[in-house]
Amino acid sequence: MNGWRTLFPNAWYISVREFRSRARSRSFVLGTVLLAGIAFAATQLPVLIDFAMGTSQTRLEVVVRAADMPSDAPAALSATLNGQSAFTAHPPYVVSWVSGNELASAQRALEQGKFDAMLIVDRDPATQSLGFTLRTDLPSDGQVVRTINTAATWGLALDDSLARAGTSIGALGATPFTVLPVNPSAGLAHSVSQDVSSDLLSTGLIVLIFMAIITYGTWVAMSVAEEKGSRVMELMLNATTPLQMLAGKVIGNGAAGLTQYGIILAAVVGGLLAQGPIHQMVVGSSSGAPFGGLDPVVLAAFVVLFVLGFLFYSLLYAALGSLVSRQEDVQSATSPLMMLIFVGYFMSIFGLQAIDEAWVQIASFVPFFSPYLMLARVSVGHVAIWEFALAVVFLLAAIVVALFVAARIYSAGVLLYGQRVGLRQVLKASRVAR
Amino acid sequence: MSLIIDSVFKRFGEVQALDDISLEIKPGEVFGFLGANGAGKTTAMRIVLDILRPDSGTIAWNGRLNTEVSRDTWGYLPEERGLYAKMKVLEQLVFFAKLHGVKSKEAVRETRDWLERFRIPEYAERRAEELSKGNQQKIQFIAAILHDPQVLLMDEPFTGLDPVNAALLKEAFQEMKDRGKTLVFSTHQMDTVEELCESIAILDRGRVVVGGTVRDVRRSTGRQVVRLAVEGDPEIDWLGTLDGVRVTRRGQDYTEAEVARSQDPAVVLQAALARGCKVRHFEIADPSLEQIFIEHVGQIDTSERTLAPKAVYA
Repeated sequence: MNGWRTLFPNAWYISVREFRSRARSRSFVLGTVLLAGIAFAATQLPVLIDFAMGTSQTRLEVVVRAADMPSDAPAALSATLNGQSAFTAHPPYVVSWVSGNELASAQRALEQGKFDAMLIVDRDPATQSLGFTLRTDLPSDGQVVRTINTAATWGLALDDSLARAGTSIGALGATPFTVLPVNPSAGLAHSVSQDVSSDLLSTGLIVLIFMAIITYGTWVAMSVAEEKGSRVMELMLNATTPLQMLAGKVIGNGAAGLTQYGIILAAVVGGLLAQGPIHQMVVGSSSGAPFGGLDPVVLAAFVVLFVLGFLFYSLLYAALGSLVSRQEDVQSATSPLMMLIFVGYFMSIFGLQAIDEAWVQIASFVPFFSPYLMLARVSVGHVAIWEFALAVVFLLAAIVVALFVAARIYSAGVLLYGQRVGLRQVLKASRVAR
Repeated sequence: MSLIIDSVFKRFGEVQALDDISLEIKPGEVFGFLGANGAGKTTAMRIVLDILRPDSGTIAWNGRLNTEVSRDTWGYLPEERGLYAKMKVLEQLVFFAKLHGVKSKEAVRETRDWLERFRIPEYAERRAEELSKGNQQKIQFIAAILHDPQVLLMDEPFTGLDPVNAALLKEAFQEMKDRGKTLVFSTHQMDTVEELCESIAILDRGRVVVGGTVRDVRRSTGRQVVRLAVEGDPEIDWLGTLDGVRVTRRGQDYTEAEVARSQDPAVVLQAALARGCKVRHFEIADPSLEQIFIEHVGQIDTSERTLAPKAVYA
């Protein structure tokens, strides 16, 4: 097989043809538009939810009829109402303060729907402690009313009591508070919420690789089977070598697949970026920042593993596709590969919960699984650089082996027309084929 | 300076597809492969093209092994017709030409030229699936010759063509021959062979049973054939009663008979004249290729017995 010397330009011509015929097909255009549309719509889901709920913000006006309120009372109330979200762009409660003599206009504003609730603050002349009246049509036993109740009691009333006792919440906040690990030599444990978000992120990236390999690998197999079925194969065999055809098909269909993938991802990113402005337009306030926690190292590892994993599996798909001559048979011919991909996928999903187990570490070097498992390990951050490099080297070696094995199966398979060919027949035929 | 097939053996499982095939095809010659289905014609072509490898034996073109000559040496029209159904004719042909190293511009020019010659220039921008079978076949022929190959191998090129398209294809054959190309094709249409071929080989079960120039092959049998037509007696019933004469075919134009080697064919004419017949036609001819074929291979087998793997198209 002297394919290396002459791989190009024919492999290039073939890949261009494959790309064009794929990208021009109706199913590709419709599929891309549809999926990109769905992806974009999905990113606007938060906007839709906020819109459907009317508004997720509760607008509260506070009418202060009590004299001598502490100066930090507004801050104390807002902090208690909103908790950790107090300083985001879209806090759940917006509070405005008016003095007691504006009660009438405040009542009008409430009636006009400019506010959801009005809180009137009075001071008991006998005990000097604060008392509250809430005017609202929100459910009196609902979450919002309970939250305002709590905030009034533990924010305002407490703050006021402290002020009258000569201290303040601010002063209490300055109390020293130190966190140490159980074992002084160990590091601090990181929070559960951080673990969960990085798990989610790596799961997302693994699903991306998984989907791409299954979907676009099947394209490659389909395209091979189609060519065999349409009997162009013999014409092609005289003009090119099996290796050229194989490379051209994998590159061309792969590029078409990645193009579709890129468009869908662009729709997602664009959707996330547009989320804020759209939210502003539809709901009238902006939402939180969409991005966060996307480590560039993880992203780089993702790109490397994505491309290599895709190449590796596409070659195998092409080889299996060459065993059948009808598109209907592609599914059954490629089912063993499908199983293997699913095994790798589930291993990595479960592996995320047991990332330091020996079996996960070993499997993350096996080319069939490394695109998923090594990515999982990288995203969790429990991997040395040499480990990643080694997995990549193994994967590259596997691609070279797959290329030659696939070219062999391919060159034998393409001429064995008309039958569902077993692997043993192919191996026998591959000895006599070019 | 020729295409030499030397002692080629090829076995598919239990079946000996090619059994010691040796042939020499001269450059610039039109060569016909004759044989029943399954005789090994397709396998032989695939082996020449290096799509299949023989179990033993070699193929050489101009003294170089077929594994070493450029793939652009060969133009191939496979029996299994196939084009990219959704691709436009021009685009498709240019693609095939480019695979053989032809520059885009030149490929476009040549393609348009050939479409013109085949009287289908308006199909350049049509998709292949919109064309009739016959026109698709013409497109495939163009695909086989666009890169100006030295040797053209065609597997059953005339099958499925109507007489008009068959005539166009024969013209194209002549054109390629005039350009000095070597043409090899397989068929079981004997009249086409007699019309076009200079040399032939008859294959049977993987062996060359007879081969050489058409004239030599015809004379090799040593049989004598006479063709006779007389006024007013289309049957010529008495012909079969002559000693050593056997009627082989009765036709509108003449009756054909085989004369034993011991006899002088002139006895037929003498007998006719002796009976007072008005002789309209008398000819001493070589046996037709069909007769020779039947003599060597037996009845022309039209059943679909084939050894070369064939596509099942559902």
